[in-house]
Amino acid sequence: MKEFTPKIIGFCCNWCAYAGADLAGVSRLQMPPDFRMIRVMCSGTIDPLFVMEAFQKGADGVFIGGCHIGDCHYQSGNHRTKKRVAILKRILSYLGINPRRVRLEWVSAAEGQKFAQVVTDFIVEIKKLGPSPLRRLDV
Amino acid sequence: MEYKNVLTVCPYCGCGCNFYLQVLDGELIGILPCKSHIVSEGKLCIKGWNASDFVVSKDRLTKPLMKKDGEFIEISWDKALDVISAKLKQYSPDSVALLSSAKCTNEENYLMMKLARAVIKTNSVDHCARLCHASTVVGLVKTFGSGAMTNSIGELEDADCIFVIGSNTTEQHPLIARYIMRAKEKGTKLIVADPRLIPLTQFADYHLRQRPGTDVALINGFMNVILSEGLEDKEFIKERTEGFEELKEVVKKYTPEYVEKITGVSKELLIEAARMFAEVKSSSIVYSMGITQHTTGVDNVVSCANLAMLTGNVGRLSTGVNPLRGQVNVQGACDVGALPNVYSGYQSVADENVRTKFEKAWRTKLPQNSGLTVVEMMNEAAKGNLKAMYIMGENPMLSDPDINHVKEALENLEFLVVQDIFLTETAQLADVVLPGASYAEKDGTFTATDRRVQRIRKAIDPVGESKPDWQIVCELARKMGSGEFEYSSPAEIMDEIASVTPIYGGMVYERLEDIGLQWPCLSKEHPGTPYLHKGRFSRGKGRFFGIEFKEAAELPDEEYPFILTTGRTIFHFHTGTMSRRTEALNREVPTGYMEINFKDAKELGIVDGEKVSAQSRRGEIEVKAMVTKRVPQGVIFIPFHFAESAANMLTNSVLDPVAKIPEYKVCAVKVEKVQLKPDPVNH
Amino acid sequence: MIGKVQELAKQYLTSGKVGAIFGLRENNGHIAPHIFKEVEELDSLVISPKYPLFYTCRPSKKNIPRLLQEKYPEIKVGVVAKGCDERALIELAKRDQVDIKNIEILGVACTKEEAVECKCSKPYPYNLLIGERVEGVSEDKDAEDLLKKGLPERLAFWQYQLSKCIKCYGCRNACPLCFCKDCALEQELWSKRGELPPEIPVFHFIRFYHLADRCIECGECEKACPMDIPLLTISKQVRKDVKELFDYEAGLDVGQESPLLTTLDETPMGETISDGV
Repeated sequence: MKEFTPKIIGFCCNWCAYAGADLAGVSRLQMPPDFRMIRVMCSGTIDPLFVMEAFQKGADGVFIGGCHIGDCHYQSGNHRTKKRVAILKRILSYLGINPRRVRLEWVSAAEGQKFAQVVTDFIVEIKKLGPSPLRRLDV
Repeated sequence: MEYKNVLTVCPYCGCGCNFYLQVLDGELIGILPCKSHIVSEGKLCIKGWNASDFVVSKDRLTKPLMKKDGEFIEISWDKALDVISAKLKQYSPDSVALLSSAKCTNEENYLMMKLARAVIKTNSVDHCARLCHASTVVGLVKTFGSGAMTNSIGELEDADCIFVIGSNTTEQHPLIARYIMRAKEKGTKLIVADPRLIPLTQFADYHLRQRPGTDVALINGFMNVILSEGLEDKEFIKERTEGFEELKEVVKKYTPEYVEKITGVSKELLIEAARMFAEVKSSSIVYSMGITQHTTGVDNVVSCANLAMLTGNVGRLSTGVNPLRGQVNVQGACDVGALPNVYSGYQSVADENVRTKFEKAWRTKLPQNSGLTVVEMMNEAAKGNLKAMYIMGENPMLSDPDINHVKEALENLEFLVVQDIFLTETAQLADVVLPGASYAEKDGTFTATDRRVQRIRKAIDPVGESKPDWQIVCELARKMGSGEFEYSSPAEIMDEIASVTPIYGGMVYERLEDIGLQWPCLSKEHPGTPYLHKGRFSRGKGRFFGIEFKEAAELPDEEYPFILTTGRTIFHFHTGTMSRRTEALNREVPTGYMEINFKDAKELGIVDGEKVSAQSRRGEIEVKAMVTKRVPQGVIFIPFHFAESAANMLTNSVLDPVAKIPEYKVCAVKVEKVQLKPDPVNH
Repeated sequence: MIGKVQELAKQYLTSGKVGAIFGLRENNGHIAPHIFKEVEELDSLVISPKYPLFYTCRPSKKNIPRLLQEKYPEIKVGVVAKGCDERALIELAKRDQVDIKNIEILGVACTKEEAVECKCSKPYPYNLLIGERVEGVSEDKDAEDLLKKGLPERLAFWQYQLSKCIKCYGCRNACPLCFCKDCALEQELWSKRGELPPEIPVFHFIRFYHLADRCIECGECEKACPMDIPLLTISKQVRKDVKELFDYEAGLDVGQESPLLTTLDETPMGETISDGV
């Protein structure tokens, strides 16, 4: 049986998470393939609809990376992210999509190691959960 | 400051949903569904929710127009009616024809046919029912004696099995599909027969994908299975019907193997579906254009009637043969006699006694011979025998088959009057255009598909100088010298209709205030009739007919290898005069398209969204391709709402010999990629 | 009780306290929201839990009292409000969709039977003038059934239900709080236009999410759905979650801002909540 390679979309904020990812790359830390990163200026700009779109288009998991609370480049952008993701996950669970397929992490620009770690953890989790049930619906 | 909620009927399809038009200081501000309505129960489809947009569109005709040197100029009502009356008087009655409107009220249709017969002295008055359910009227009259939906919409919920054939109910009659879905959720079995993968098929227990035009064979196959397994209702057949031996003889040949060869439906599926239909207590047949719009339209309808009678499914709750009428008032227009061979109430023009009754009521001599039907009118106009036409609320330039021929015909007329709310494609060819009032601007009644007569009520004043159609017809009749058109309100017109039409005998405006009345309603005390043929058929005994299968008139061949079947989408309505002037609907579907199977598309090298050319022996259109698995291989589907890619440029005007309905559902076309070529010199 | 309501409304009108009354009118067995200007008209004033008062009129996307206020700013409007009506009014006022200072609320409570029929958790307005406060219904059978199911079952359930959708937009049109001029449901970006059924589950997800902080549980969305899709089930649950997470309930306090518009310092989030699996 062919091993399932999960498709992960990662929305990473320019100032912290994306920089952290950069650092991970530069430090030659192992990053799994099939992790597509989309850079946004602030995690607060992530409309939960983007997350749904990602699932609709075949993502098995969606990762959102932002700054630690208190460190947001725009003061309170990540406050919004935290609240929105909480509600998003609830609705996903009512619709029957495992909310663990959405992961919100705060990763600063200096935390290259942490970035690699959380992404790897996430991919392991998604592998356990299997392909997204929405993938089949779209066909 | 004045606010009112005006309860009225949605102007689109035959479901007859009710909603309130909200009016603040004479201006329409919104639409509120009516929760207490017996059919719609507070729900509407997307068209109904947006039914006030087109009323206030700036395209509305506001003044009478006359064509001078190829351009339209505005004229006064007086001048317009003088010109029309003078012109119409010039022609002999045989060279004048009228098209009445399934979008106008019962009162207006009655007056139109009265104008034709009593003033102009011609029986050539017809309307678009000819193009959709003429087969129903002929077929059900032949078998049952009455050509209308036998049961009521709400009863579908309690049927044990529903057989939907030739009806994309979810898209065409959404609020009727609601009852089918509710039935399904209660455990009802659903059989859907349709060549396409319509929304209802995903909920069907059995989806029979028959080749377009093979419905007689399919239904004969059903009956063959039912007879060979002894599932017919023997008592019903003995007590209530005649002609059974004839049917049995013909149906013998249609074994599941034979039917599979003709229709493409697997014999196992056919046997199971037929068993399911016959074994349960109450089965209901629901059908629409998919079976009526054929050269064998009458045969198809008769086959449905045969099947219902064979299994004893007529004359009880939640059973019956249920044609779903498309237009909001096409049932009513037929009921009040806007047809060339009958007066109101389906009383025959040829019958001496009936004619005498009407001659007395209308105080004038009436013409004897049946008149022309819609497509025949176009043919006669093209030949030059028909010289003048008066068209109210119809758009044959988009809805009739073989549009090039229609254009030729209408342009060949010496005098054309069109009365409408917008300058439609047909109105553009007219000599005189009269502005009518929309459903929101007049009183009257509409009859829904389940024979329910309901009130529409005036919410706002007619825009500009437009007038309610009944007033226009009365004024014209008066100009032409008749003294029989003195009505002060539509209520009075309905009183007259009730006095000469037995099935509408008890229709009085006071009685129609609540949930309306379903005809037959024979007197002022009669409560109306939810379902027909209880105890006895309208003609006494139901009549079986043995029907042999005949192929469609134009089948695909080497040159034109595809079958074109036409139809509708939920987001637009018919020729789009109203729906294409509505923002929400245009947003959903802004332009025409053609559904083509993805295997066929691959072979032709066509991608989704690409503009392609579709051609038939009659015309050619350019249309956007939609590559899908909804249509089977070898079939393409084009909705007819869009003037810029008019499906009816391609369709065949060949008619059913009795009902005179065109074969919209089958003709042969070819599809090609559009070659990039320099601008042509000639069009 | 209706007699008392009519009495009070007539009093308000004749004393000049209000220039018009916004309430339900019965006409020939049919009930609909109406603006009463004359005292005699008030004889046909009724109360009915099946008919909330606030709708968003299209195409203006404004509710009736607002349209009235814009045209006649000097007229004070008396609203005969049940619990759900007052909640709608408060949420609309919060978002500048109606000027609540120019509105007198004649609060009427629903009876216990009516609350049970509507499955309403708060069948009375705060500005209660007539009737007694009764206990609302706290159990929700539909939600319980949903939560009993495992994730794959829930998905199958919603896949079936949402595939019935005929894109009538009735749920949005009937919602008192759906007044956005550029509605996300209409954008090609999220859900392909002209298709039936609309994209599952995105199309309906949009409303569940956008109304997380504004749903007042009037149930109109469900009542307007021709295909009987149980939309209220998720919206009600989300409303419960919002209360758990942010201690916020839509429609209770004009001054309380939506938590999704504020920072974590202004409206902290309850940390110990599970993901709802």
